[in-house]
Amino acid sequence: MGVITEYYRATSCDDAHAKAKSLGSAAAYVGGGVELVLRRNPEVATLIDLSRCGLGRIVKTAEALSLGAQVTLAAISRNGDVKAYAGGSLAYLAGHIAHNNLRNMITIGGAIGRNQPWNDIVPHLIALGAYVEIQDDQERVMPLSDFIRQREPGTLILGVRLPLVNADLHGFLWRFTRTQQDISLLHCSALIGVQESVVSAATIVYAGRPGGTVLYPKVAAELIGRPVKAETFLHAGDVAAQAVEVGDDLRASGSYRRELVRAAMVRLGEEMAGVAQ
Amino acid sequence: MRVSITINAVQCLLEIEPGDILLDVLRREGYVEVKGDCHTGDCGACTVLLDGKPVASCLMLAAKADGHAVTTVRGIGDQRHPHALQKAFVHNGAIQCGYCIPGAITSAKALLDENPEPTREDIRLAMDGNYCRCTGYEQQIEAVLEAARELREGGFR
Repeated sequence: MGVITEYYRATSCDDAHAKAKSLGSAAAYVGGGVELVLRRNPEVATLIDLSRCGLGRIVKTAEALSLGAQVTLAAISRNGDVKAYAGGSLAYLAGHIAHNNLRNMITIGGAIGRNQPWNDIVPHLIALGAYVEIQDDQERVMPLSDFIRQREPGTLILGVRLPLVNADLHGFLWRFTRTQQDISLLHCSALIGVQESVVSAATIVYAGRPGGTVLYPKVAAELIGRPVKAETFLHAGDVAAQAVEVGDDLRASGSYRRELVRAAMVRLGEEMAGVAQ
Repeated sequence: MRVSITINAVQCLLEIEPGDILLDVLRREGYVEVKGDCHTGDCGACTVLLDGKPVASCLMLAAKADGHAVTTVRGIGDQRHPHALQKAFVHNGAIQCGYCIPGAITSAKALLDENPEPTREDIRLAMDGNYCRCTGYEQQIEAVLEAARELREGGFR
């Protein structure tokens, strides 16, 4: 954030988008504002406040659980519908990430919009099969994984939709961190369906390798149709250790991360064994 | 720009710059009990309540507080009328240098408002953003448990 000359209170999403479009890279939407303050962009002179745009609600419809872009992580962690969704993995993550003061500030729209490489929210949402509602020249809904790949600057994030067809599947996340508030050395998220002790559906996501979120359908394919047994997940761990790109940084070596990739599958297997029983 | 923020139950009309940070505005207006330390949202010394919820005022745009209620530790209790939490922090030796304590008490107040009978784990989670480099944390947890007990029994306000 450079010298801010204007704080614009948008009265609607159309109003916010029109303002952002007219200013281009000199404007930024305000979610919780945390990243704007922490990582100042000298180009930005106008902040567009979205708090009056009606994006602060969690609503359950016939098809999806919709989280408005201005909903905070703390609100997500306490919401009964989110706690009931896919075993409550998103509610748990939202209630344990960063710390309490920040959880009351960080919004889900801001987390997606910024999507820093250490983000743990985006990979888990992608694993849960989330869609994102956006507004550029029109309102659109698209898979969050596509949005992250193709995102155009200036796009207004309206919210996230968690499809109810996934509500009864099992969400899993494993953040390997040095301390609870540390960023992940490795993040693994998954969504697993089980029917009669056989894996019927699987989505596997790794992040923090270091780097952003990547879906691994090849690893998921090693699980689908196989029994929920330790051997199944050990084998998937071997495949994952080959498939997942890992790297070195100051916080962990690539070879250490490769072992964590494998370990995440073992943990998933242990958890799913309990679910299957 | 002009904003209206209710600070410790007093409505204040403040002239601020659009990019001002809430911590800086509060201290400029004399609320120096709100401490600045890391300025990156890590340490919790700057914690205030925004509509009853703890936030890091060092990372909060002051303009975002427009129309909302901010409570500092002085709004929770003062030397003449200390809150049960403040008494319990003293009683349990949970204060040494004292710099982090306004933030710690503010976070604890938000917890007890929402959960009058917290477990130790509830307290750890609610205060996980409040660093203390003097006392450790055991005394603070004991203090919050004692204050919760006192408040439930109606001993203090």
